This record gives sequence, structure tokens and C-alpha cells, in this order.
Amino acid sequence: MDLTLSPEQEAIRDAIRGVLMERSPLTRVRAVVAAEPGIDPDLWRVAGELSWLGLAAPEAAGGAGYGLPEAMLLFFELGRTLAPGPWLGTVLAAELGAPDAAAEVLAGRCRVAVIDDPADRLGAGVRLEGEARHVSDAGAADALLVLGARAVRWCPARAAGVAVDPAPSLDPTRRLARVTFAGAAAVGLDADAARLRLAATVLVAAEAVGVAERALELSVEYGKVRQQFGRPIGSFQAIKHRCADMAVRAEAARSLTVYAAVAVRDGEPDAAVAVHGAKALAGRAALANATDNVQNHGGMGYTWEADAHLYLKRAHLLEQTFGPRAAHLDALAAPWRAA
Amino acid sequence: MEIRFSPAEEAFRAEARAWIEANKPRGPRPDDLRARRAYDCAWQRAMYEAGWAGIAWPKEYGGRGATLMEQLVWFEEYARAGAPDLSTLFVGLNHAGPTLIACGSAEQKAYHLPRILRGDVVWCQGFSEPNAGSDLAALQTRAVIDGDHLVVTGQKIWTSFGHVAEFQELLVRTDPEAPKHKGITWVICEMGLPGMEIRPIKTLAGNSDFCEVFYDGVRIPLGNVVGRLNDGWRVAMATLSFERGTAFIPEQVRLARRVEELAELARTVPGPRGQARAIDDDEVARRLATFRAEVAAMRAMTYRSLSLAARTGVPGAEASLIRLFFSELVQRIDALAMELLAGAGIAGDGPAGEWPERYLTGLSQTIGGGTKEIQRNIIGERLLGLPR
Repeated sequence: MDLTLSPEQEAIRDAIRGVLMERSPLTRVRAVVAAEPGIDPDLWRVAGELSWLGLAAPEAAGGAGYGLPEAMLLFFELGRTLAPGPWLGTVLAAELGAPDAAAEVLAGRCRVAVIDDPADRLGAGVRLEGEARHVSDAGAADALLVLGARAVRWCPARAAGVAVDPAPSLDPTRRLARVTFAGAAAVGLDADAARLRLAATVLVAAEAVGVAERALELSVEYGKVRQQFGRPIGSFQAIKHRCADMAVRAEAARSLTVYAAVAVRDGEPDAAVAVHGAKALAGRAALANATDNVQNHGGMGYTWEADAHLYLKRAHLLEQTFGPRAAHLDALAAPWRAA
Repeated sequence: MEIRFSPAEEAFRAEARAWIEANKPRGPRPDDLRARRAYDCAWQRAMYEAGWAGIAWPKEYGGRGATLMEQLVWFEEYARAGAPDLSTLFVGLNHAGPTLIACGSAEQKAYHLPRILRGDVVWCQGFSEPNAGSDLAALQTRAVIDGDHLVVTGQKIWTSFGHVAEFQELLVRTDPEAPKHKGITWVICEMGLPGMEIRPIKTLAGNSDFCEVFYDGVRIPLGNVVGRLNDGWRVAMATLSFERGTAFIPEQVRLARRVEELAELARTVPGPRGQARAIDDDEVARRLATFRAEVAAMRAMTYRSLSLAARTGVPGAEASLIRLFFSELVQRIDALAMELLAGAGIAGDGPAGEWPERYLTGLSQTIGGGTKEIQRNIIGERLLGLPR
């Protein structure tokens, strides 16, 4: 048993963090999302060159040959930096191998938005019909990955019968779209939808962990430098104890997310429980820590200029991605509620 | 990253499981303190004779010398089997013994360690005072050197099992002029010496597991000082470097089981909005499910912390996060039980079982061993680096 990062995993984490800090600081993120296409093509090119998108894809298919835990490391960092773009769908598609576009997906040239459709509201087969709302980054996507109850479908975003319309988004760094299918022809992928949904949920949880941890760091940094009453505000227990609570939430969420990633990779019997728990706790940690971080920054925290609101808004988006907390808690409680 | 244990660790698990299952005490632990002491000592003796005593103690001191992973496995199996917690032997095995191993003289080790391991003796703690709780270093119990003795005068409090103990790990002030952390001495005090008076304290849960101890000119041989005179603060802290959080695992496993018991309770008592079963209430179900996620997270935190310690050789600072998380989680779980029990909770009848007592004793979780406020200070200052 070992839930620490191996030296190789640490190197992966450090490399990703280094590139994102250099190429995608929040000043850059703000500029990118204020213009079209709302993502940074250079960053995506570099992500392709550095095999970020194919971390969990098999080597034979051109990926890096790692697994879900290594992809999770990427999403921790994406949560910390709020780098724009449809990372989740692209990483999932890279692992599955996209029809006729595998190399393009791995290279970051074909970007993929994922649509979570657990109740098959868009249909269970390869002909898609209906409307998916609040799809993250579909406007910047070249293809759509539709994750149904049992089927996983691939559909080019500009195929006949597919309309992608921008929709308002609370989160300025992640755009939303409404995707309407009118008998669009999709391609069924040979994939285990249940496992893919667990993997996707782990990655969303990881992104939420990144948000929770970064919000904590920002509060601690501010608590050390901001002076009131002649002392740094971090010396006051009202702030210090809140930061301690933020640390507990983040650590609990990170630990369970790491556990869940390994459990899904290895097909452990408790994988689903760990994933539901991880998403519930990580979502809560992101929301609570980001909210506390606004408060810890006082008046500055209330401004558009400060970064605190960006983390809070991302936390809300993540909470609504691959199931809100209540849905995951209901899944955890289901065995108890059976007659 | 790996959550499976190695084949050698699984073999160790099988061996531990089989032995515990075959040898654990069958009857319930008695309430009467003297009988409870005898029960604890007999079980400790059985573990000692089979080579399982002092699982984390080094082999040269008679312990098992188990690796961190083996300790984890042992404590998981121990709790899973429902084996009794250390109770009256806790201070000796997890506190005084490790302190003596770290700082004791050869004579002190040779005399005390085997007795502790065999379950011959009960130790208690004499650290806190009425005016030195969270601010432990403010302790005022005085010890003056007189020939080859320390003469102790003062008062200690919150001394668990003081009335059934043979020895006490006692912190006294030997240099009142020095800064408060510098004038403290750690000394072994034999219980029942002339000038000592032990009075039980009744807790809000109605039991009297702990005491206050009064010292009026109690003479303790200087040879009982552990470490050097006036170096007691460092000695007391040395224990912490030995204790890497594995002894805390049984409590965590028990807590996971407690959540399952609470879910079972929620299937038998009516819901708050008139449902036949409380579990059919969405809010109740989600609160329970949150507990399920939280105990899973606590286990993952412990696994992560232990694997970090196994890799680096130093205990992780996350231990304080786990401790705080655990203590508040216990209280949330017990509070929901009281809510679900409704009238039965306040009457202590019907399906109440042990819940009301657990709820009451659980209130100590965020006080004993450092209040939750102190834990938050530690996290804020030592882990996060916030200014004092």
C-alpha cells in the first residue's frame, strides 16, 4: 500500500505545474477567456507535445501509457490554475481512442467536450436526439463524447444535426453551451460506460481538489501579508482556524480522490463508493474553501480584480459536473434504503 | 500508487486475524474499575505471551518491531475483530513506554518496559493542572531537590485511571526562575506515596474514569527523573516522534462500523417527517452518506499519511488534520444518533443502546489530548505557517 506520489509521478506533477505557471498564469487566463476562441491554442499545442492529454492512453495508441492516477495529477493542476478548455472530454477521448482522430486528439488539435447523459435522454443508440444543457466548453470543441447509461458515442461537433449554441456561464473561465441533436449520426465506441463515468467523476473531483487547495494557499498567503491592528490577519484565530478547517477539507478530499483513482484503475470492489465519496467531499471542499477564501480577503475578495471569485465560480461549475453532491450521496445511501 | 498490500503483509494479516480471533476476550469488559483493570491486564498478558505485545515497540525492548504497514494491518484486524481498546493500559503502552524508550536510562528501561509490556502495571498521566490545560507549559506543581529526592507539592487533574495505577508520568516545575518551557522535569512517580491524595472526578457522562491528584511534600527519588532535570518539556515532546499515528487506527475502524450501526438504526426508527423508517428521509440518508464518505476519507488520509511516513521515515504533519477531522466526525455521528432516537435518546430506553453514553463521552473528543482550538492553532501555525 502506498498512496504517495512516486518520484516519476512527482516529476509529472512538477512538469505540469511548471508549464501552467509559466504559460497560464491567471492574468493570461483572463485575457484568453475575454477573446475568441476562449482557449489558448498554444497551451493546447504544448499540452499535446508533453503528452498531457494522453497520460492515461495506452502507449500503443500513442499515449504516455500511464493510468487514471496520472491523469488525476493533471486535473489537480488544472483546478489550481483554471486553465481554460475542454480538458476532461479530451483526456477521456484520448484514453478511448477517437475514431479517425486519435492522433489529433492526443496532439491537442482535436478538442472534445463530454456530455454526461446517465439517463439516456439523448437516446441509447448511435442516433442522437434531444438537447443537452450546460455543456462545458462545447463551443471550443471539435467533437463531442456522449456518455450514456451504457453506451459511449463520438460525434463531430459540426456534424449534420448538431447545433452548439453559447449559453451564459457563472464561471468566466469556463464557457457553457447548449448542444441540440436532431437525429445526429454518432459512432458507438467500444467502452465501458460505467467505468468511464467513474473515471470522469474522479477527474472532476481532482479538479475540485485543486480549487480547494489553491483557495487555501491564497488565504494563507494573504493572511501572512495583510496587516490590520498592527498584525498580520493570519495571526488572528478567526482567520487561522478557518484556514485550518480549509486544510482539513482539502486533505480529506485529496486523500479520498487519490484512493478512488487507484481503486478505479485496479477495478477494486470499493471503487464506486470511493468515487461517490470523493466527488461529494471534493465538491464540498471546493465550494466551502472558495467561499472562505472570499471572506478571508475581505473587501478585496469581493472585487472582480481579485482572483478569489474565479475559484468560487469554478467550484460551482464543478459541483454541477458529473453529478452534484446530493446525487453522489444518494448513491452512497442506496444500499441502506433498499428494503 | 497502490492500495493493495504486499503478499508478505497479507500473510501477516492472516496470521494476526487468526490469532486475534482465537484469543480475544469473549466476555464484555466489566464496568467496575478494578475488574476492568484485571480484564485489560489479562488480555495484555495473553498478547505478550504470544509475541504480539508492543506491536510498534522496537524488538530490543521486547516489542514486535513491526513495520508501519504491519502496524496498520495489525490495528485494522484488531479493531475488525472487536478486540478491546487499550483503556487502562493506554498511557503505559502508548505514552510512558515510548517515552522511556526514547529518553529513559538503562535501569529505567530494564525495570519498567517489561512490566508495561506484560500488562503487570497500569500507568497514568500527571500533566494537566487546573491552571495548565491547553497552556501545559504553565504548570506549577513544584519539585524541590532535597538530598537525593524531589519533594513535590501541587495538584494534577484529568488523570485517567489514576486510582488503579501503579505509576504516573509526572511533569513538575524544578526551576521556577527559568522560562516556562525550560524549568520542567519529567519524573516517574509511584502512586500511593505518602503525601499523595487521589480523588475521582465524576464526568458529565456519569463515570469516574479520571481523577485529580494532590501532592503534599511527596518524596520521589532523583533516580526517577527521565532525561535531565529541567529538560522535561523535550522529554514529553519526544513521545510524539515515536507515535506515528498507528495506535489511532482501531478508533477509526470502529468509527466506520459505528456509521453502519447508525444506518441500521435509521432502518428501524421512524423518520423525522413521519416516515416509517428514518433512512427514507432524504436529509437523514444524505447525512449518513456523508459520514460514509468521511470515514472512507479518514481511512484514505491515514493510508496516505502512513505511506508518506514509511517513505520518508518521519511522521507526517497531516496527523493533526486527521485528529481534528476524526474528533469532530465522532461528534456529528453521535449527534445524529441522538436526533434519530428522539425520545428514546433522552430516556435511554428502547433502541437507545449505547448511543446516549457514546454521545456524552464523545464530547471529550474535542477536549482531551489538546482541544480542537489547540489543534487548529497547530495546523495553522505548524502546517500552514501562519504567524502566531
